[in-house]
Formats: sequence, C-alpha cells, structure tokens
Amino acid sequence: MRQYFLSFLLFLFASLSLCVSSVVAADYHEQLVLRPLPLSALLASFNFRSNTSLSEFEAHNFRFFPRSLGQILQHAGTRELHLRFSLGRWDAESWGARPWDGAREGGTGVELWAWLEADTDDEADKKWRTLTNALSGLFCASLNFIDGTRTTRPVMSFRPEGNHPNSTSTNTHLLYGVLPHEVVCTENLTPFLKLLPCKGKAGIATLLDGHKLFDASWQSMAIDVRPVCPADGECVLEIEQTIDMVLDIERSKRPRGNPIPRPPPGHELLCDTSKPYHADDTCFPADYNANHDWMLSQIFGKNMKGICPLTNPSVPPVCLQVPGSRSVYVSNGVLEKKNADGVSRCFEIQPDADLEMVLPRIDPPAEGEPAQSVEVQELVKPETPLLYAERSFTGHGQERGGVQTILRNPSPDSEVEFIYMETLPWFMRIYLHTIEARIDGQAGKQNNLIEEVYYRPALDRARGTQLEVRMRIPPASTVFLTYDFEKSILRYTEYPPDANRGFDVAAAVITILSPDTHKSDKRGFAAYTLRTTSLLCSLPTPDFSMPYNVIIFTSTAVALAFGGMFNILVRRFVAADEGPEVSISGLKQRLRSRLGKVFERLQQKTKEVKVQQKKD
Amino acid sequence: MPRLLSGALRLRRDPRILKLPPYLSLLCILVGVVWLFLLPRDEYSRRTYISENALLPGQVHTYFGGSDQNVFRAYKHEVNALVDKSNIEINDRLESIIKGLGLKVGRQNFTYHSAGQVHSGENVYAILQAPRGDATEAIVLVAAWKNAKEELNRNGVSLILTLARYFKRWSLWSKDIIFLVTPDSIAGPQAWVDAYHDAHDSARVDSLPLKSGLLQGAIAVDYVQEHRFESIHIVYDGVNGQLPNLDLINSVVNIAGGQMGISTTLQEMWRHDDKYPDRLRTMLRGMLKQGLGLASGPHSSFIPYHVDAVTLQPFGEGWQDEMAMGRVVEGTFRSLNNLLEHLHQSFFFYLLMQRERFVSIGTYLPSAMLVAANFTIMAIALWVKSGQPGAEVAEGQEAKPAEKSNLAVERHLFLPLGVVTVCQFLGALPLYLFNHAPESMLTPAFFIFSSLNMALPHLLSHLLTTYYAPSAQQYQLIKSFSLLLLGMFLSSLATLNFSLAFLVGLLASPLTFMQPWPRAPAMRTACTIFLNAVAPTAVLVIGATYWNLSVDTVLREAAFAWDVCGTYTPVVVWCVWWPAWLAGSVTVLGRPDERDIKAKTA
Repeated sequence: MRQYFLSFLLFLFASLSLCVSSVVAADYHEQLVLRPLPLSALLASFNFRSNTSLSEFEAHNFRFFPRSLGQILQHAGTRELHLRFSLGRWDAESWGARPWDGAREGGTGVELWAWLEADTDDEADKKWRTLTNALSGLFCASLNFIDGTRTTRPVMSFRPEGNHPNSTSTNTHLLYGVLPHEVVCTENLTPFLKLLPCKGKAGIATLLDGHKLFDASWQSMAIDVRPVCPADGECVLEIEQTIDMVLDIERSKRPRGNPIPRPPPGHELLCDTSKPYHADDTCFPADYNANHDWMLSQIFGKNMKGICPLTNPSVPPVCLQVPGSRSVYVSNGVLEKKNADGVSRCFEIQPDADLEMVLPRIDPPAEGEPAQSVEVQELVKPETPLLYAERSFTGHGQERGGVQTILRNPSPDSEVEFIYMETLPWFMRIYLHTIEARIDGQAGKQNNLIEEVYYRPALDRARGTQLEVRMRIPPASTVFLTYDFEKSILRYTEYPPDANRGFDVAAAVITILSPDTHKSDKRGFAAYTLRTTSLLCSLPTPDFSMPYNVIIFTSTAVALAFGGMFNILVRRFVAADEGPEVSISGLKQRLRSRLGKVFERLQQKTKEVKVQQKKD
Repeated sequence: MPRLLSGALRLRRDPRILKLPPYLSLLCILVGVVWLFLLPRDEYSRRTYISENALLPGQVHTYFGGSDQNVFRAYKHEVNALVDKSNIEINDRLESIIKGLGLKVGRQNFTYHSAGQVHSGENVYAILQAPRGDATEAIVLVAAWKNAKEELNRNGVSLILTLARYFKRWSLWSKDIIFLVTPDSIAGPQAWVDAYHDAHDSARVDSLPLKSGLLQGAIAVDYVQEHRFESIHIVYDGVNGQLPNLDLINSVVNIAGGQMGISTTLQEMWRHDDKYPDRLRTMLRGMLKQGLGLASGPHSSFIPYHVDAVTLQPFGEGWQDEMAMGRVVEGTFRSLNNLLEHLHQSFFFYLLMQRERFVSIGTYLPSAMLVAANFTIMAIALWVKSGQPGAEVAEGQEAKPAEKSNLAVERHLFLPLGVVTVCQFLGALPLYLFNHAPESMLTPAFFIFSSLNMALPHLLSHLLTTYYAPSAQQYQLIKSFSLLLLGMFLSSLATLNFSLAFLVGLLASPLTFMQPWPRAPAMRTACTIFLNAVAPTAVLVIGATYWNLSVDTVLREAAFAWDVCGTYTPVVVWCVWWPAWLAGSVTVLGRPDERDIKAKTA
C-alpha cells in the first residue's frame, strides 16, 4: 500500500503546486481508491478527512467535525480515539499487503482504543466507561460491554498517532478494549455516515450501501481522531473516517432483485473449449481467475451522485489503480488523469456529473502469446506483506488447549521485528512457561527469537490476560509461537445464551516495528499492522439433557451398589437380640454401678482422713 | 420398622436365601435379553424428532442442478482419466482443479503401520472460506477416493468438486466449508482429523498446512454406482460405537425424504417394512457394529472428536441422479450452516431401528445393566457363602442355623486374589500378540493361541491342585473375584458402549453358573466343552464362519482398527472377557481339597 501513498503524494505535489500548505489546512476532503485484486476481487477504500482547529473545538464551534462525537470526546477527556468495526478476513496470500499498511483496520468485531487525560488510573477507568457508554449509543454497537474484563492497557503495541505537545505520559492513559463477538452490520453504518459533512447524500459516500458493504468478503470501518500540530501554525483536531472493503466482483454483479446464484443456462457457462470431451452438455468451467468486466454502478448497485460540495476541490474524488495500459471508459463530465507511476489514474468530476466507470474485460491472448502477460496487464501486482500470520487452536477436549500462531517472514533478506499482542478472556488461563517460539525445520526452542515479554495475568472475573511479546524473525523463515492454556469452569449464570457455541477470543494484534524505530515519532513507529483471525474457544458447558442425566444416574447407581457391597464385605451385621442389650434399665444399672464406685471411693477417702486425724 | 429389620435379618440367616442368587442371576439375564427384544415394539420405541430448532431441515430451496450437471460431467471425465494413476498424480490434478475454483488447497501425507503392513497416502483438501466469516467454525465434506469396500468413488469425488464450485457462488455461508479427498476411507480421514486437532503422531502423520475453526459437522459422500439410484443409505457408526448426534441423522432423513422424495435406510436394510422383525434386525445390526467398534466409513474418525458426521451412500435402481444427491448434500449443509451452537440438543446414545424410530439410552440401558448385574449378584452371593462354614456340603444337615451363623470361617484370600490377578495380567499377552504380529503370522499365531487357550485352564488347574491344593472356599473366592471384576467393568462399559457391554455380558453369562465338579467327571467335561465353545477365540472363529470371513481378515481388521483408529474392543475382549473366562474354566476344572471339606464337616 506504500505504493499507493507515494503515488498519492506525487499526485498531490503535481496538482497542488499552488497551495502546498493547504493539504493540512484544508478542512475536508474525501477520496475513493479502487484497486482490482486477484481472484476477481475489488478493493474499495473510502477515505474522509476533516479538520477543526483545537481552539474552535474547545469553544464548541464545530464545522466539519461532527458535533455528536466532539461532545463525547470533550466530556470523556479523550485526546486521541481509534474505533474499528470489522468483518471477514483479509486474504493476504492472494491479495497481498493490507490497505493503509494495516493502520486502519481492526480485528473481527469492534475494537476501540483511546488516550484519555486523567490524573489517576481510577479516573481514567471512569472516563473510559463514560466514553464506551456514549459511543455505544452513538454507533448502535454494544461498546458498553467493554468492561474491566475486556479492557487492557497495552504497553508496547500502540503509540499515539497525533501530536500531544502539552501532555505528559503520567496524565495520558491508553486503554484498549475489544468485542470479538460483536456482529457489525448496517445499524453501525448509518451513524457512521451521519458523521460526514455530506451525510452520504453526495460525493463518494453515495456509493456506500449497506447491502453491498456487508456482502463484502472483508470490510473495515475506522474512525480516527487525533490532534495534529504542523511545524508552523495552529494545532488542529483531525478526524479521519475510513471504510475499506473487498468486494467479490462476481457476487456483486448479481442484480439486487435476484441475488440467488442459480446455475446459469448451459450456453452461458464459460467453458474451457480445449478439453477433448467438451460438448454441449459437458463443460469444464474456465478458470475462476478469469478477469471480469465491471461497471461502477453494477458493483455498488448505484451511481455516484456528483461530488460533495464541501470537499477540497484539489483532491480528486476517485482514483483507480490498474495498469496504465488498460483502457477505462467513464461517463460525460469526468476527466481522467493518469499518474506518472503508470499504475494509477484519478478522475475529476464536474460538480453535477454522475460518475460511471466501466472496466472492460481483457480479451484472452492470441495464440502463441504467453498467458502470463494478460495477468500482468490486468492488475497491479499486489505487494507482498512484511509478515503472514495465522493463528489456530491446538488440542481438543474441554480441559486444556493451546494456541499456535504461525508467523512467516516472506522477505528473502531482511528480518522483521514486531510486537505480538494478545488480550485473552480470563477463563483462558495461560501457562506462561509454555510460551515457546521455534523456527520451522529447526529442532529445539530458540530463545533468541523472543526479545521481550510483557505479561499481566488475569484475575478471575475482574480482568483478562494481557500478553505482549516482542520478537524478531530472521529472513525467509517460519516461526511457530505456541502456548498452552487451561479452561476454567464458569459459574452457571455466567454462560451466555447459546453457550454451546463457544466463546470468541479476540484477534491478536501484530505491530511490525519500522527498522529505524526508537525515534519517538509515532508515525514512524509501526511499519505495518496486522491482525489474526479471532478464535472460538469451547468451554465445558453444563448440559442437562438426557445423556448427561443417564451418566449421572448410572454412576450414582454404581456408587450405591458399591457402597452397599463394601459394607457387606467389611462389616458384620448382627440382629438387635444377638448383640449386647441396649435399654433404659440397663443404662440405669450401669450408671448406678459407676456412681456407686465413685461414692465408695469418696467414702474411703473420708475414712482415711478421719483415721489420720485420729492419729494426729 | 425394627420388626421388619429384624425380620429381614432373620431372613438373611435363612439357609434358603443362599440358594436364591443363581436363580436371581438367571432371571437378570433373561429379563435383560427379553427387555432388549421388546424395544422394537411401538410401546417402547419413539418416533424421531428434530430437537435443535435452528437446523430447519428441508426449509430452504435447493438450486443445485441445471448447468451444474454439465460441469459435473466434465469433472467426471477428469476423474475417470485419473483412475489408474498414483495417489500423488491424482492429488496434483485435483489440486489444480480446486485451485482453479479459487479455493485454498492443502495436502497432507500420512503413513500408518499395522500388522506389518504400511498404509500410506496423501490427503488433499480445500477450504472455502466463509465469505463474510472469520475462521471460527467449519463444516467438512468428505469423499474418499476408494470407499470402505475398496470401490472407486468416482461420482462422489466429481460431486464434491462440482459442489465446491457451486458453494463458492453463495455468499450465505456462515462457516468455512472444507472439501476433503482422501485416498482411502479409514486411514486418510483419521490422519486428517487427528492432525486437525493436533492429536497426531508427527512421525507418521504430517501437520496440516491450512486450518480453519472448530469443526461443527461432516458429511461423507460414498457414491460408487454408475446408474441412477433409488435411496440413500446412511452410515452413522463411529469408532468405538460412538454415534453422531441424532439430529444430524434426522436432518438428512428429513431433507432426503421430505424435500427430495428419496427414501433413506440404515444398517444395510435395503428393504424395510417397519414391522417388528425388520426393526429388530436393524437394531441388532446396529448393535453388532457398535459393539465391534470398527470404523465403518470416512465419517467414523470424526465422531470421537465430537464432530457429528455421517456417510451417505446412494443405492438401488431408481430415477434419482447425481444432482439429486447433490441437493441432499446442499440441503444438509444449509441446515448445518444455520447452526448457532454445536449440535448438542438431541441424543448421542440411541439405538435406531428404522429411520424414524429409536430408543434412547434411558430405555435400553437397563438390559445391559441387568446382564452386568447378574455377575455382581453372584459374586456377592459367593463371597457370603465362602464365609460360612461348610455351607456347600452341610446345608441340609444344619440343625441350628442360628448358632452356626455366628461362627464365621476365616477366608483365605491370598491364593484367590493371586489367581485372579494373574489371569487379568495374562490378558496383556494376547492383546500384545494380536496387535503387533505381522500379517503373515496372524493366522498361525491365532490358531496356536487357540489351542494353547484350550490347554491353559487344564495347565493352570493342574498347577493349582498340585502346588496349592485350594479348598472349595478358595475356588468360590476365585470365581467371586473374577465375576466381581467382570460385573464392574461391564456396568461401567455399558454407559460408554452399550452394545459391546451387552454382547460380552451375554457371551460371558455362562461363567456365572460354573463351579467345580469334584465328584462328577461327566459334568466337568460337559462344562469344559461348553466353556470352550464360548471362549473368545471360539466366538471369533464362529463369527467369522457365520459371516463368511476368513479369520485372517478379521484379525487384520482388528489390528488395523487398533493401530489407526484406536478401537478399544480388543482391550475389552482380552483384558475383561478373557480373564473372566480363564478364571471360570479354572474353577470348573478345580478339584477342591477333600480333606479340607472333611475336616470342616467333622
């Protein structure tokens, strides 16, 4: 994605030679970048950015900054906020590096982290609670369920993105919360769009439709609020809203009225006619990989309606990243500008024009031409990510388990240093001594892979486990990071409805440090961020249905039978008339004889005393 | 109450009470068997029902068909072209086809050694990632290249390729779908499932390169026949008699029958009139399979990991084509896709007697428990009896039982305990022998062992009488301890594998009535011959002859099941049943020391 940034900047420099400083100062801009990906996917990145100066913000003078969010931030003393809603998974193997270098995405569900201004930890917690509850209402998400057990204070993984000139580390607190089970859906999109100055009525936001967005193979909505202080000039508060989604072109092209993928009529099938058995009723399907032609309105279900009048006119609203040699047809009133890098082009749109874009299919190569050249022409080759990560559970059963993360460094010559962060629920008790990193193909464990571990153990029902590991992976190698854990048994009432589904475990966050770290610059801190998929942990769940009852019942029966038998084996039963008699009269007699003895002894003593007295 | 208690205590001293246990034991066995035979009646069995509402079987339209048939034919051609190729070549081609569909493909090697044979191969599988899902849950579609009878599963493999292409088009999957093609029906799936749960021995089975989330269910397609089919045969027996959740079977029955109009059958009952004899036969076949605990198809290996799975086999002459089979699979997958939770609602312990009739564990368990209880009753009776002086000879002559009962005889425990312990530990020998002998040695080893087995009781008995001269009481104690162990083992086993416990209990039931015959050589010989006829080895030979199998096949299968699937039936046979049989045979051949008895009666 760095490529994209470079080209973007290049373009800015080219077109904005008049007012370079206005890039930061411009109050609002929006941009959509479309990038076709392999396997007939299309990445659409929507980016909306607006600024307000800090002085105006503090004076409650909101212009482009959404008032509803601004008031929440002020009330909760929030200096910087990052909120993510994500669904699906990014297929790094085929799609390459993540958009924005992974900086604008979260794990499945909802993720929230913020820097709060507070003097003590308790105060920070209180403000955090205020913030999550308010955001929960604003975004129609269950953010209020981010309680103490789901909140952590990461130590190494996150650094502030904005400039915080007059704050110290003692009074800003970073809190991080995640809800892996939260299902992101249309009710979260509507409030998201409402924060935009044009509210989704004009500009690129008109393309955002719940049906398409949530049918995407992967999507991530992000809100980032941070103070930015340029070297010269006043500090501004910047809000950046990002939506990234990967659409399956074939699926998106289906008409909305008929979304069922019925088998097409036989003559419409794309067949590989080179097969010897090819016939009217026999069809080997042509490669799924085959390129598709698409239209913007087909993919998004509607046209883009004009441009938002508030946007900075110098930033082109739509860009497309396909090789420069590919032809693209656009509607009237749209101006195509190819960028110098040869892999991207942008479109300038007349204020009243609707944008329609057609990317025609590339015809298969002529006979004799190598097939590979088509692929090269068709798409911009995806960039290889710095690291591949895959996490899964090991083991089976209800008592113990393990987590295994496979980390692969694809680079042939440079090593990767990163921080691996896990936030686990308290009922997964990890055995820290079992944490082990080994390089695939080398026996034994390599201690030098793990450089630093920060571990904060869980407290039952109070807080979750926090684990941060700084590691270094040598070039072109695969590392297995494993640890074991024990599953706790929950109290009866602590099980959620649908307890047999299992419990979601949040994605691990992997922050790759840029090679020249240790500079305090926050943007230079993380070179790339990625998240693993979330996991489903099944805990022992009480089950009161038939088999359970039967097992309990039979075990009881066996235990009773054993008890009775054991008694028969070791005891001798005798009838009451056979044993020593037990009755009240007998008891009386025994008591009397005991008392009699005592009396006798007393009498003897008194006699002895008398005898002695007599002697004296 | 005290009067009742003392009455009971007086009754306890009644010598007649000691005559009761053998009859009680016999009654337990009879009631247990009759109970089982009553189960197929309408009064004792129940109609099946869908317990998990989320499944909604047969509630969705299935669209598989139309031009997918053209694709199916093409894949069929591709599969036919691979028929005589090696496993690797087949997988290379399958991999390229599946990759062409845009799925991720993984391969896994495995090598198992069993009975001196090497079972190796390579699994190939593909993961269709749920379009909007996170890798948290998955369902599996399996087709073995060769089915359990070593027939080529051409249609099955082609069908899952076509279904993979078809499923890819849908965006409604909430779980990943894994398509697995294994070279054989038992070892391949076993290796794959073991590796999926990281329970594999990495020296023999490779780890999986690709993984998804928790497995929620699996369907195996075993579609061998080339012509159109009539019905679907559902195979559901897991390893060690574990069964999939009844809801899964019900869903398939419901989808095939209610939606597609395809009838379903169980346990190779190709015709079923839903009358008592057919029901009984279905149930007994199911019990036998469950009792043997062998893997019956690719689905069997999934069940021990709590992944509910069945194999679907089309059969018969009819008018249903491959697309109908595909729609059944599609419907089942749509149902499984609806699941919010792991299948847990319905029964895991049941006996099916028709596709829509079952008995649950609460109804059938008493029969196995009664059979197991007969051993315990007898064991307790013998223990009590052994503590009474000369009870076995002098019952009739007792003039004053009340006085006599206060006198208890000291039990000489050492020898009986020793004999029973030795018998139990001897069981490890055949267990090791039959699971580690190479294939060529299996049959000779078996016949040598069988003949030794016939001589062993005589040898042990001779050693005992010569060196230890056990008394009648000690024989009683030997029998008591061995029956006690048997009863304990079987009643616990009945909760895990009902059928195995019942069958072993029934075959071992003559042991309850065995006793030394010091003065009746004819009786002793008769008992010995009878016991030899119900010895584990003899039962094995008789069973093999009845089902037209060679002993060699049976032994090889057993060793394979032990080595690959972890079947525990051999442990039950050699460490529970055989020691009890040995102890029983020794008792029959016993010659209690006469002097001892005389001394006591004097």
